[in-house]
Amino acid sequence: MSAGPSPTPAWLSLTAHAMRALWRRRGKSFALGGGLMFAVALVAAVLFLADSLLAESDRARVAMPDVTVQRLVGGRPTVLSTADLAKLGGIPSVSAIRPRVWGYLFVASLQGNVTVIGTSPEDGGNLSVARGALAEGRDLAPGAHEMIAGAGLARFLGLTLGDQLGLPSPNLEAPPLKLVGTFASSVELYTSDVILCDVGDARALLGLGAGEATDFAVSVINPDETHVIAKTILDRLPGTRVIERDLLGRVYRLAYGRRAGLVLAATIPAILALLVLAWDRASGLGPDEKREIAIQKAVGWSTSDVLWAKLGESMLLSIVATAAGLALAYAWVFLLGAPGLRSAIAGWSVLFPEGPLTPMVDGGQLLSLMLAVVAPFVGLSIVPAWRAASMDPMEAMRG
Amino acid sequence: MTERAIGQVGLALVAFAVLVLVAIGADASRRRSQRAGEQPSIDLVAHRLPAPDLALSGGARWLRSPGLEEPGAAFEEGPAVPDADPAGGVMAPPRAIWVEEQRRR
Repeated sequence: MSAGPSPTPAWLSLTAHAMRALWRRRGKSFALGGGLMFAVALVAAVLFLADSLLAESDRARVAMPDVTVQRLVGGRPTVLSTADLAKLGGIPSVSAIRPRVWGYLFVASLQGNVTVIGTSPEDGGNLSVARGALAEGRDLAPGAHEMIAGAGLARFLGLTLGDQLGLPSPNLEAPPLKLVGTFASSVELYTSDVILCDVGDARALLGLGAGEATDFAVSVINPDETHVIAKTILDRLPGTRVIERDLLGRVYRLAYGRRAGLVLAATIPAILALLVLAWDRASGLGPDEKREIAIQKAVGWSTSDVLWAKLGESMLLSIVATAAGLALAYAWVFLLGAPGLRSAIAGWSVLFPEGPLTPMVDGGQLLSLMLAVVAPFVGLSIVPAWRAASMDPMEAMRG
Repeated sequence: MTERAIGQVGLALVAFAVLVLVAIGADASRRRSQRAGEQPSIDLVAHRLPAPDLALSGGARWLRSPGLEEPGAAFEEGPAVPDADPAGGVMAPPRAIWVEEQRRR
C-alpha cells in the first residue's frame, strides 16, 4: 500500500493563493508593479551614479597634496611668484613645497577648454604602459617639446603617436608639441581633457613667466597638523587662498549631492504617481476584493488567514518589483553608462570621458533600499485588508 | 497546474528577486576589486594633476575644477556678466548647437 501525496503546507497554499489573486487582477498588478519598478529604478540610478562619481573623486584625492596655495587678486585666482616660496621656508611638519604650472586653453575646434599641465622629472613616478598609466607610448623626455594627451582629446582631434599639435596659445612663440603617449582608460575620468607636457612648454603655452606658478602644492608629514600649517601659510602670505585636501572631499560631496538632489527633485512627478498608486491601495479595497475576502471568511478562513494572504500578495509584488527596479538601475548606470542621466549628475563636456563607472553599492545598501520600499508598501496593503476582514461576511458580500 | 506548483512558482519568483540582489552585490564587489587594482596607476597620474576633479563637467573653467575654482560665486565670468552655464550645468545644451556655431563661424 503506497502513501498518498503529502498535503500542501499552509504557507505554500497561501503563496499559491497570492499568485492566483495577483493573476486575477493582473492589470492592476502590472500597473502597480511596473510603477514601483520604474520609480525604484529612477531613484536608485541617481544614488548609484552620485556615489560612484564621489568615489572616483576620492580615489584621486588620496594622491593630492595636503595643502594647495593660490593667490587671489580682487577675489579672483591669479599666478603666484616663485619668490614667495622663500617666505614659506622652515614651517615645521612641511616636507615639500612644489610650485605647479597648469591652466586652461580654449581650443576653438573643440569649443571647449583643454587642461594644460606642466611636469618635470622632480615630480617623480615614471608614466608607462607597464605601470597602467598609459594606453600607448612613453613618458615625456625633458625639454623635447612632447606631450601626453588624454584619450578623449586624442580621439576628438584624431591624433596618433608622433603627431605634432600647435595649441592656440596667447604666446605666439609657444612650440608645437609632439604626442608621445595617451593616458590609459583606467584614468580617463581624470585625464580626458588633459595635455601633460614639460613645465617649460606649459609656461610658454599658458603665457606664464619664468618666476610664476599657478599654485603651490604643499606636502605635510603629519596630516593632523594640516590646519595649523594652512593658518601659518595664510599669516606668511596674506591674500592667498589655502585649500586643504579634506576640504576638497567636502566640496565633492556637496557638488554631487546637490546635483543628485536636483535630479531627484525633477523626478518628483514620477514619485508622486507612485504615491497615488500606493494611496489607491491604502484607501480601500475594490468591491471584487471585498467580496473575495467575505467568501473566504464565510468558508471558514480566520482574520489572521486573510491578513496572511494579503501580506503574501503585497510582499510578492513589492519584492519582485523592487528587485527588478534595482536591477534596471544597476544595468542602466553600470552596464549602459547611464544614458540620459550621466550628463545631469556628472556635468557635460565636449570631451566627455567614456571610462566605465565603478559601483559602490553593497549588500547592506541593497537590503536597505529593498526594505525602505517593501515595508511601507506591505503596511499600506495590510490596513484595508484588516478592515475588510473585520467586517461581517454577509454585509461585505451584499456590498 | 496544481496548488503546490503555483506556490512553488511564487517562491521561485521571490528566490529570483533575492538572487538578483546577490548578483548585483557580487558584480559590484568584483568591479570594486578590479578598480582597486588600478589604484597605483591612478596615484601615479593623480600626483601630476592639479586637482582630483573629474574631467566630467563643462568646458567652462570653473566647472572643470570646482574644487579649486570659485564654487558658488555669482557672475563667475565677470561683474554683471550673465552665466554662460546657468543652473550649474544641470542640463546640457543640444549638441547640434556646437555644429551650428561651427558653421556660423
